Amino acid sequence: MSYVLAKSKNPDIQEAGECGGAVTSIFKYLLDENIVDGVLALSPGDDIYDGVPTFITDSEDLIKTAGSYHCAPTMFGDIIQKYLSDKKVAVSVKPCDIRSIDELIKRHKINPDNIFTVGLNCGGTVSPVTGRKMIELFYDINPDDVVSEEIDKGQFIVELADGTEKGVKIHELEHEGYGRRLNCQRCDVKIPRKANIACGNWGASDGWTFIEINDEKGEELIKGAQKAGILETKSPSQDAIDARLKVEGIMIKMAKKNQDVNYEKVSGIKEWDRCIRCCACRDVCPICWCYENCELNKSYFNASDVPPSPIAFQGIRLSHMSFSCCDCGQCDDVCPMDIPVSLIFDKLQKKYQDRTGYVAGVSDDVKPPLYSPAKEEL
Amino acid sequence: MLEIKHTLCPSCSVGCGINVVSHEGDVVGTYPYKRHPVNEGKNCLNGRNSIEAYKNKLESAIVSNSDVDIDKAIDEICSNLKSKDSDKITVFCSGNNSVEDIEAIKSFAEANNYNIASYADNIVDIDGEVASYDDVEKASKLIVIGDVLYTNPLIGRRIIHAKDNGADVYSFTPEGSVTANVSNEICDSIDDVLNNFGDNLDESSVILFNTVNSSEDLDKIKEIADKANSKILPVFSKCNSKGACEIIKAQSKEEFVELLNDTDLLLVFNDDLIPEIDFDFGSISTIVSFVPCENSTSNASQIVVPVKSWLENDGSFVNAMGETQTFSAVIESDALGVDEVIEKIQNKL
Amino acid sequence: MSDELKIVGLLCNWCCYGGADTAGTARMQYPPNVRIIRVMCSGRINPSMIFKAFEEGADGVFVGGCHIGDCHYDAGNYKWSRRSKIVEDILEEFGIEKERFRHEWISASEGEKFQTTMDEFYKTLQKLGPLELK
Ligand SMILES: Cc1cc2nc3c(=O)[nH]c(=O)nc-3n(C[C@H](O)[C@H](O)[C@H](O)COP(=O)(O)OP(=O)(O)OC[C@H]3O[C@@H](n4cnc5c(N)ncnc54)[C@H](O)[C@@H]3O)c2cc1C
Ligand code: SF4
Ligand code: SF4
Ligand code: SF4
Ligand code: SF4
Ligand code: FES
Repeated sequence: MSYVLAKSKNPDIQEAGECGGAVTSIFKYLLDENIVDGVLALSPGDDIYDGVPTFITDSEDLIKTAGSYHCAPTMFGDIIQKYLSDKKVAVSVKPCDIRSIDELIKRHKINPDNIFTVGLNCGGTVSPVTGRKMIELFYDINPDDVVSEEIDKGQFIVELADGTEKGVKIHELEHEGYGRRLNCQRCDVKIPRKANIACGNWGASDGWTFIEINDEKGEELIKGAQKAGILETKSPSQDAIDARLKVEGIMIKMAKKNQDVNYEKVSGIKEWDRCIRCCACRDVCPICWCYENCELNKSYFNASDVPPSPIAFQGIRLSHMSFSCCDCGQCDDVCPMDIPVSLIFDKLQKKYQDRTGYVAGVSDDVKPPLYSPAKEEL
Repeated sequence: MLEIKHTLCPSCSVGCGINVVSHEGDVVGTYPYKRHPVNEGKNCLNGRNSIEAYKNKLESAIVSNSDVDIDKAIDEICSNLKSKDSDKITVFCSGNNSVEDIEAIKSFAEANNYNIASYADNIVDIDGEVASYDDVEKASKLIVIGDVLYTNPLIGRRIIHAKDNGADVYSFTPEGSVTANVSNEICDSIDDVLNNFGDNLDESSVILFNTVNSSEDLDKIKEIADKANSKILPVFSKCNSKGACEIIKAQSKEEFVELLNDTDLLLVFNDDLIPEIDFDFGSISTIVSFVPCENSTSNASQIVVPVKSWLENDGSFVNAMGETQTFSAVIESDALGVDEVIEKIQNKL
Repeated sequence: MSDELKIVGLLCNWCCYGGADTAGTARMQYPPNVRIIRVMCSGRINPSMIFKAFEEGADGVFVGGCHIGDCHYDAGNYKWSRRSKIVEDILEEFGIEKERFRHEWISASEGEKFQTTMDEFYKTLQKLGPLELK
């Protein structure tokens, strides 16, 4: 494992990038040298609260993807698995994206040789509609006037076109039911170390991206982009490295606190009685990929009861994949009935973690222990 | 090339946003549109399945069960139109069509003195102010008629929010249904729920309904709402029913059947009347369907003309709360739009 | 009331089903509330079967397999054993006491073990009473 600070040598990218534009530069290098068929990243749709997954094949178009979309809780794992599995792809990944990709690799649904994963550290994402409401309410700013947002030093900060910034403590926002999505408040994987590299602002000086190089492929990415003349690098100071690890530690501690508070509530979830069995939670889940063959569709499970019996509906899905749940929160986001679905999946993955040590999408096991042929009891 | 584009869900009148995934020129899936203010990326199964209409698209025009060139079908339609008295010709459209298409349909019918009909779940005369989704969330009391949580989940969600905000919910919905499970009280009939709880309503209350059996039901709902100064919110099964009603007055089932009795040639724009209206459609000598994909009405039609499906179309519609929303095509299409078909017909008349 | 307690027993063909048979031929008394379903191996049982049993009204579900080392398909009972932990964890979250779900390794000759296990399980369920699903 090694660390570098990196910055784009292309002035446009450096300007448009969130930190040093390193991520965008690496993508440009991969496209220009024809190492990948395309880059999967986000570009703005209606506005900056609307990060739309975009597959870029011409490096000229990359500029519109640069920057961090804090109000875009997107998921890339299933997009690659469903639509891009036959292509060579580079992709920007938050921890939950790479964790789902890792689980899909373990299920032979994504070929690791076909993808380059550029990680983004993640302090959490805010749902776009919530984000806009929150900016109106707590910042007294028209959300349309905001040009960028960031999360720094415990604050959610918005920047206006004239350069003025305004921050509110995340804790305060979340206390009032705004701020990051609930799963993000619990998420304890903040640096995507399974990605080839993990990029972030923690430990970075202004205008630079701090990069942790996680594997050989990551090493090649940095060297390649340097050689192509698009990326400049320098070594970070030990202080910067330490500071970064310290923030990571604090964030994880905060997450664990939220876990303790919320996991307790699971057995009391009453919301299951308004489940309309629309299966949006399953269909969006990056780990569930059985489609027509899903056991939930089998007639012997009273597949038309509404609301379904939670034990025979969520229970089945829990037994199939909760040990691989990466707490991405997609299931909460899409549930039309606002049922906090991810909470129980995440809690069961943590229980499984306690039993086996297996952390979904993070542990190196070839398979989740449940699938292994090992002659061991738990 | 993989592309993700915004459009609106055509499956009911709530007006949810939906992202459609296309890949190498084909529609392959949906993706949550979390930025959309109506549904925040949440779509029910009907919404997510709305892309099926594109997948099952009609390939060619049909005259008397054989595939024909579209111009041939248009000629056939024109000769039919010319051979009949205009008062025996009825043009039908519904909330499945965009505002722009309905306007085109209306001018076409008016220019040629044809009858024009529109139908919206037996709900007639609903102009005037209706409750907004925000009104529902903030309501102190709600009367809900129909299993709205199940049928129109993204309005159902607003009922849940209202409940979380402390609202009382009284419903006419089957026991054990999801709507019943979030209600304080449930009743066995529309009358019961209105009679038993109508007096509880106040000016921050809403009566929400997605079914009425008769115009008396509707009158009663309005009367009770008026008395308490409450708002009403009819939720339609078709996305642009509200918009359609603003352009063409919606008919009751009885009125519509009466008109059908007097119809010799029926032009149906983008709808499936047969399962919805109890009428002997065999008694109409010629039915013409303009549809993106087969349905039971098109199967019973002598002439079928393929038109753009929702995903191929641009335009606007008016959602249940009266807000106009615009949408654009998510995929290129070589099919004709309703307006283009109408123009072709008009030119040959 | 408690005589209406329903127990579903999923028993592996090669061992526990034999054990139940041994108990039966030796006329050992065990609670008649057990409905036995024969499966080829405990490793064939998936959690959905357990959940389905509870959903359909079982008050307790029992799984019987071969002793560790004796599985006729080599490692089926190891697999079941690992799976059973997940089942327990899930049941707990939906308000089903983990005592309502039990598994045991019973060989074909252990008729008595089958008998005592069933007796015990029945008594446990008597104490818990009928299951009321949320
Ligand atoms: C939601 C979020 C939270 C973050 N929180 C932290 C943090 O707490 N600490 C920290 O050190 N770093 C955090 N980062 C990472 C940091 O903001 C920068 O993205 C990173 O340093 C790379 O900077 P860059 O200039 O090299 O990237 P750029 O050149 O600007 O490229 C960024 C790339 O990421 C893609 N992207 C943007 N938003 C998303 C998203 N939501 N999901 C997937 N891909 C996306 C863009 O499309 C672009 O391709 C966060 C990033 C995001 C998106
Ligand atoms: S779940 Fe974790 S990685 Fe994913 S968006 Fe939230 S904080 Fe980021
Ligand atoms: S269960 Fe929910 S949180 Fe877990 S991986 Fe699936 S979608 Fe994400
Ligand atoms: S619930 Fe089970 S069968 Fe269904 S998609 Fe998920 S893993 Fe597959
Ligand atoms: S998304 Fe929500 S309502 Fe739909 S099946 Fe899942 S839990 Fe039920
Ligand atoms: S054969 Fe009995 S447990 Fe596998």
